[in-house]
Amino acid sequence: MDLLGFYPLFYVPEIGSAWLMGITGAIHIMASHTSVGAALLFAFLAHKAQKENRTDLYDYMKRYGMFLLIFSYVIGSITGPGIWYTATAASPRGISALIHNFVWVWATEWVFFVYEVLGVFALIYFIDKVDRKTHLKLTYTFAIASVGTLALIIGIISFMMWPGTEAYYATGSASDAFFGTNTFPHMFLRIGFMIMMSGIIGMIISSAMRKENKELSEELTQKMGWVSLLGGFVTVFFFMWYIDTLPANAHALLGMAKDSIILNRIILAILFSIYFLIAIAKPQWVTRTLAITMMFIIGIVGVWPGEKLRETMRKPWVAGQYVYSNQIIGRDVPGKEIKDETPLLAEKGLLKLNPWIPDRLRTITPENKLEVGKLLTRIACSNCHSLEKEGLYRPLMPLAGPMGEDGIRDYMKNVIGTGSSPYMPTIALPDEEYDAMAAYIASQAK
Amino acid sequence: MDATFINVMKDAAGVPFYPVVFQGLYVLTWALHAAFVLLALGSMGLSIYGSTQQKSDPYWKILTPHLIMTGKISVSVLIVLGVAPLLFTQVIYDSGWYVANTLSGAWVFIFIYALVIGYMMYYWYQYANKKGSSGNTLIGIISFAILVFCGVLMHNFAVEAISPTKWMDWYAPNGVVDNAGWNMHLDLLRLGFMVSLMIPVTGIFMQNYSRFLSTREDFEPKYLEFVKNIGTKMAVIGLLISAALFAVWMLKENLLLHPLSLATVVSVVILLVLAMRNKNSYVTTGMLVIVALFISGIRELIRYNIMSGIGYDLYGYPMNLEWETIIMFLLTFVVLGFTGIAFILTMAWKVGKTKGVYTATEGSAVSRLANASLTLFILWIVVYFGWGMVALFKNTL
Ligand code: HEM
Repeated sequence: MDLLGFYPLFYVPEIGSAWLMGITGAIHIMASHTSVGAALLFAFLAHKAQKENRTDLYDYMKRYGMFLLIFSYVIGSITGPGIWYTATAASPRGISALIHNFVWVWATEWVFFVYEVLGVFALIYFIDKVDRKTHLKLTYTFAIASVGTLALIIGIISFMMWPGTEAYYATGSASDAFFGTNTFPHMFLRIGFMIMMSGIIGMIISSAMRKENKELSEELTQKMGWVSLLGGFVTVFFFMWYIDTLPANAHALLGMAKDSIILNRIILAILFSIYFLIAIAKPQWVTRTLAITMMFIIGIVGVWPGEKLRETMRKPWVAGQYVYSNQIIGRDVPGKEIKDETPLLAEKGLLKLNPWIPDRLRTITPENKLEVGKLLTRIACSNCHSLEKEGLYRPLMPLAGPMGEDGIRDYMKNVIGTGSSPYMPTIALPDEEYDAMAAYIASQAK
Repeated sequence: MDATFINVMKDAAGVPFYPVVFQGLYVLTWALHAAFVLLALGSMGLSIYGSTQQKSDPYWKILTPHLIMTGKISVSVLIVLGVAPLLFTQVIYDSGWYVANTLSGAWVFIFIYALVIGYMMYYWYQYANKKGSSGNTLIGIISFAILVFCGVLMHNFAVEAISPTKWMDWYAPNGVVDNAGWNMHLDLLRLGFMVSLMIPVTGIFMQNYSRFLSTREDFEPKYLEFVKNIGTKMAVIGLLISAALFAVWMLKENLLLHPLSLATVVSVVILLVLAMRNKNSYVTTGMLVIVALFISGIRELIRYNIMSGIGYDLYGYPMNLEWETIIMFLLTFVVLGFTGIAFILTMAWKVGKTKGVYTATEGSAVSRLANASLTLFILWIVVYFGWGMVALFKNTL
């Protein structure tokens, strides 16, 4: 019996499993980017403290460090594997593809992680326990190790969007997959954002120091204003280059949402420029409440839509433009001897080829038709669509319902089944499977 | 469930290196993960007891915050060390790991946030304990309970991953598919044994603590004696409990007479004698590492037997040999990793042994390791960008 290597389906009603990932991802981005940015900032501050004998700066680093421990090394280091875990539940074959291409890159990153985790404790708790020079060297290595973790993950997440060139498909080599055209712009975009985040968080710490030392507090708020402004500029600059290196399907999707995105980014850029300029010109205006509010704004209005956009632009793929979001392998990768699964699916259907179909549902009967339709719809569509009428994640019923049962069947067969949609996977199946799905969707959309 | 089924779920890309290497790395890194899981849970559990004693007992007053700190750092370390076996397990046993994660998808999500909350509460516990606020013990207990619960969830995934014959029943009981991801299946004996090890591990840690600080004149010898005695007691009693659970577990798995299991028993007996006599706790710790590796090996043996028993061909996993990235890993791991970690640990050792500020003089081990690490890190970044540019030019020009 022919079977394809699918996994059981984990289905989350209303919001979809991808949103679980998105939530974890957005939190992780805030924490991890702050952590790398702060590592760079620490190197800068420790250098300055040493050179100009500014012992008061160590005090600031210590407070910042304590915050960092919780924010980045509790939340960040847990949500990191957390994205991975939730992505596994939501998209096992997508994660599997990444793991099997990049296991040694990840293992290398792990070496850096271990260094970072031990390093951060040493950096913070040894500030007054080890001589300044050794501490400074530790700070430098810590900064490079942190950037190293970015350098190693960035090629992998860029590959999720696309390999960047055709080379990977022919060679199957991880190096070709990792260093695509998208990798470096993506990296510097993130470095900019990291620097900006370190300034935004830095202002929370500096504004909280006002009571004890007003002068230092304002000086540091001012410095953090400059740091954030610099980071923000780098982010915007590389964002443009980054957009330019995206694949065609991403541009198709980007085009659909372009106006609202541009508006959102312009408003954000203006708002935050004003904030940073205030910090520079009138540091006393930046209170702790304001600083914390601005952190939440960047998270909720900046990062969360950004994550959703990145997820959208990747469609219909989830990894390397060969694994579809709905877990079907949609193209050949000769370099790895990977075969496109869509022709076989078109011939034999999911009911025969997916190992996780209970035997009693493998053959469609009038009694089980709707049940089969429901299962198939979940398998084929739910990675990108909520199946509840009021669902939050591109709800399917309002989109498909108006077409009516026959219309849905025709649309699936002639549009989705032929791969004519730029953002939906090719879901080519035998007619009776389309029938069952159309019947189910029509019955739910009523 | 038959063999075609499980072999078909091997990733289409194949593995990039010999499966046995991943298997070895898995055993090694899981042992490290487990060591810090046990130290974290054990020191935290004991600190909760300490937090009820510290008001009246001056020794517990010193020891409790130290235990809390040990637990705090250990949790961070166990998380980062957990990443490695997480990686290797899904390279060679992807089928088991991904099925477990999808069958228990809801628990996967809960695991992450439980860990975030449990660990944040741990920081709160430390803070409350420092401030002497009255709720500290309660906060500690809740945090401890949450972290133990995370361990139960981990165990759930591990058990599901090695139960291939039951997967279909769990996914579609009576032929009705359940996609909600709320599966939970425990093997209490296995879990009990794993968790029981936190007692001896923490005991041996306390023997080390006492030995390490014995050269510091600002620690009273009587205090160190006190800590050492608790440590020895915990190590001995804990080892007896764990050994009993181990024997029953092995009996149930039909592995009691397997050479690996016998070797484990022998090494546990040696460990027991070493811990009881406590001549040199560092030697005892070396033995503990060996025991941990054996236990990790047994876990792997159980899994290998189950999987190959239903026809899973681990060593026949299709392979696309990949040299560039493995060379990067090996060089980074061995050269940069060992130097860097040696730098931090040597520095920590010196700081711990010094009252006041430790100064690394020119030419001292710490100073040389610091310079070497810095040089290697810079070199690494240069090679990275060089490599990236060559790859990009090759593929785009
Ligand atoms: C407080 C948090 C944690 C505790 C108490 C804990 C505890 C455990 C325990 C008891 C096991 C053994 C289960 C068994 O064999 O029955 C285990 C296995 C494992 N843990 Fe953890 N763990 C924690 C966090 C983590 C994290 C954050 C990761 C990943 C980053 C992780 C990765 C693993 C892996 C990969 C295994 C092996 C699973 C297998 O072989 O199937 N753990 N853990």
